[in-house]
Amino acid sequence: MSCPDCKSAAARRDLVKSARMVTIGNPNTGKTTLINALAGSDLKVGNWPGTTVERLEATLRLPGKELLLVDLPGTYSLSPTTPEEALAARELLANPPDVVVNVVDAGNLERNLHLTLELAELGLPVVLAMNLMDEAAAKGYTLDPAALEKELGVPVIPLVASRGAGIEKLLGSLDQARVPALQVRYPGALESAVRELASRLEHPARRWIALALLAGEEVPLELDPAVQEFARSRRAELERAGIDPYLEIENARYTRAHELAQRVLVGSEPRLTLTDRVDRWVLHPLLGGPIFLLGMLLAFRFTFLFSTPWVDFIGGLQEVLAGWIRALPLPPLAVSFLADGLIGGVGTVISFAPVLFFLYLALAFLETSGFLARAAFIADRMMLLAGLPGRAFIPLILGFGCNVPAVYATRVLTGRLDRLRVAMAVPFMSCSARLPVFVLLAAVFFPEQASLVVFGLYLLGMMVGLLTAWLIGRAAGAAPSSGLMELPPYRLPAARVVLKQAWARTRSFLTGAGGFITLAVVVIWALLNLPPGTDMTHSYYVLLSSALKPLFAPLGVDDWRLLGALIPGFVAKEVVAGTLALSYLGAEPSAALGLLQGLGQIIAGFWSSVLATLGAVPALFGLPQLVPPAADEPTALQLALASAITPAAALAYMVYVLLYTPCVATLAAIRHEFGRGWALIAVVYELIVAWLLAWGAYRLALIWLGA
Amino acid sequence: MRRLADLPEDTPARIRALKTPPLLRRRLLALGVRPGAEVRVVRRAPLGDPMEIAVGDTLIAIRHAEAAGVELEE
Ligand SMILES: Nc1nc2c(ncn2[C@@H]2O[C@H](COP(=O)(O)OP(=O)(O)OP(=O)(O)O)[C@@H](O)[C@H]2O)c(=O)[nH]1
Repeated sequence: MSCPDCKSAAARRDLVKSARMVTIGNPNTGKTTLINALAGSDLKVGNWPGTTVERLEATLRLPGKELLLVDLPGTYSLSPTTPEEALAARELLANPPDVVVNVVDAGNLERNLHLTLELAELGLPVVLAMNLMDEAAAKGYTLDPAALEKELGVPVIPLVASRGAGIEKLLGSLDQARVPALQVRYPGALESAVRELASRLEHPARRWIALALLAGEEVPLELDPAVQEFARSRRAELERAGIDPYLEIENARYTRAHELAQRVLVGSEPRLTLTDRVDRWVLHPLLGGPIFLLGMLLAFRFTFLFSTPWVDFIGGLQEVLAGWIRALPLPPLAVSFLADGLIGGVGTVISFAPVLFFLYLALAFLETSGFLARAAFIADRMMLLAGLPGRAFIPLILGFGCNVPAVYATRVLTGRLDRLRVAMAVPFMSCSARLPVFVLLAAVFFPEQASLVVFGLYLLGMMVGLLTAWLIGRAAGAAPSSGLMELPPYRLPAARVVLKQAWARTRSFLTGAGGFITLAVVVIWALLNLPPGTDMTHSYYVLLSSALKPLFAPLGVDDWRLLGALIPGFVAKEVVAGTLALSYLGAEPSAALGLLQGLGQIIAGFWSSVLATLGAVPALFGLPQLVPPAADEPTALQLALASAITPAAALAYMVYVLLYTPCVATLAAIRHEFGRGWALIAVVYELIVAWLLAWGAYRLALIWLGA
Repeated sequence: MRRLADLPEDTPARIRALKTPPLLRRRLLALGVRPGAEVRVVRRAPLGDPMEIAVGDTLIAIRHAEAAGVELEE
């Protein structure tokens, strides 16, 4: 494997049999849908190397040959304005494919053909897939694809990708892919500069490269410095003559695209489209706000209501497996390691799968239907306060359910900096796992104002999060985020595509973040159970908890049991309340399980999860529960807590639990998306912020409540 | 001088120049917002900002501050 020659020889042999084909087109023109229609079941979702830009890939077996299909990120033009678009241009130049399938929106030809004209300058063989023919017809457009075929000199295939119409014809036309015959002519001085520069380049895309250089663009290729110098001087000359090369080039391309579009559009009787009618309500000056909030609530509840039964089911499964292991004749430490450490770790990873799956379903639906852009439009003004684009609203609000999917949801944003800013803010959104701790402590120490205290904590988290995003933007010296975006037409997403994509993305979490989470759970297990042969009160856990005391003395919290609960809380915040119970009241014995007994539990659990998922449908539209359920009788745990610390210290503790380190799964997600460095920064930053604000809360509470 | 930011709803106008920072200009051009093109304000968001404009077959959301650099013909 390590010999490079054998590898390239193998690659060469492959080339004979298989061709590489890429799809490129404006965002939302149906590229993903097309690839799904072409590829059937054989679809791979991954990332472009070194990026978090999603890469779709499929292998197509045709009679006599194999086609490798790669989807390039959607782009309006090859002069990039986002990392995604830069990637598309780089890939086409550095790694020229055998065939380019240019997917265009039949209902928006002028803007889409602009990219086609750029592809012609790249000198690559093209087939034009004229998609969304049904939508163009609904708009009242009559189109003549044959006219375009004649003008461009490449096959033009009308398609309705979502229904699979035209797919066969497209496959059949791949052999006839040609470099488009049509080239844009630029005004006098510019055109001669382009020719002169192009003649000094040796690359099939020399015309495009010459244009890019004259426009002052970065070209993602190694170029001869002499040529670059020449380009700079010609560019300066043009500018001295009062010509703005970039603008002139764009202008000439658009003018040509306009003419082409006019040639193809043989009839037009404008009609009110679905988009016009829906937007009248969704973006209504008065109703727009409430409809937006309702939509967000629906997406939120869909994600969590539908996934909860399956998270519970996986929890049940874990218990059964652990029960079986306890029935094995093994030393106690080994049993504990397998049952609590290993199964606990793997179970934690898997229990995120349903949440992520349903989140990805909701997101894909929002995004491909066109609703996401509308939500961003409505929320934009609010998000602008933190210097964020409107889309940032979505990951932030999801954070209130669970931070892990929220980190992945930052992908709805364009631009790495905005993504990072939101991802660093997300862990401050109080996820549902923190609520039990707040409810427990608020009921003990602030029985009269429990709801108010909990609400205040949520608000505090949100403010700290937004401030964090704002600060990072400030520190990076970034230009204020842009609110500019297309509002794509409303479209019905294809269920098959959305499901498949959601599953592929969930799988990427399991493989990409699973190991890290499992490892963390095992480490916590080791703290609790080592050195061997001791009970918990002599474990490393207690040693560590006691060592934390001086650090937390200024916050008024000096009980090792409270401090210790923070440690497993790092694995999952819902464990904090459970650990408190464990260390104040002692462990409940966990039982060994027989094989049949366990199977029975699994089946019963599965069935009740199915029922609960179905039952979630009406609940989706019910009113949310805004007030945390109040406990009526003080429990043994509450009594124990009441005597352990003062109310002021309890408040500090709650603030600390709210803000301290993201749980390990969230960290794994941050690491998966942004790298190890940022995960580390997130931990350190949040530990410091949590301590400072908890200290502030403690001092304020002392003044306010009296010592 | 007329600016896109101040254009009332449903009054078509023609774009004269893009006096915006370079990156924004590129983004505008990519979406088809270019000198010579006809533009129409469809509506403003419930909070007054951003606004929705139509250029050709494309609907675009743009902030007031961004639209201030788009100059229109008289
Ligand atoms: N009516 C109609 N809808 C379509 C057609 N092709 C795709 N769609 C829908 O258009 C939406 C966008 O399709 P995608 O396949 O996600 O588009 P894309 O080009 O991959 O989008 P990006 O990857 O974001 O650039 C989805 O809701 C599809 O179901 C079509 O021919 N007709």
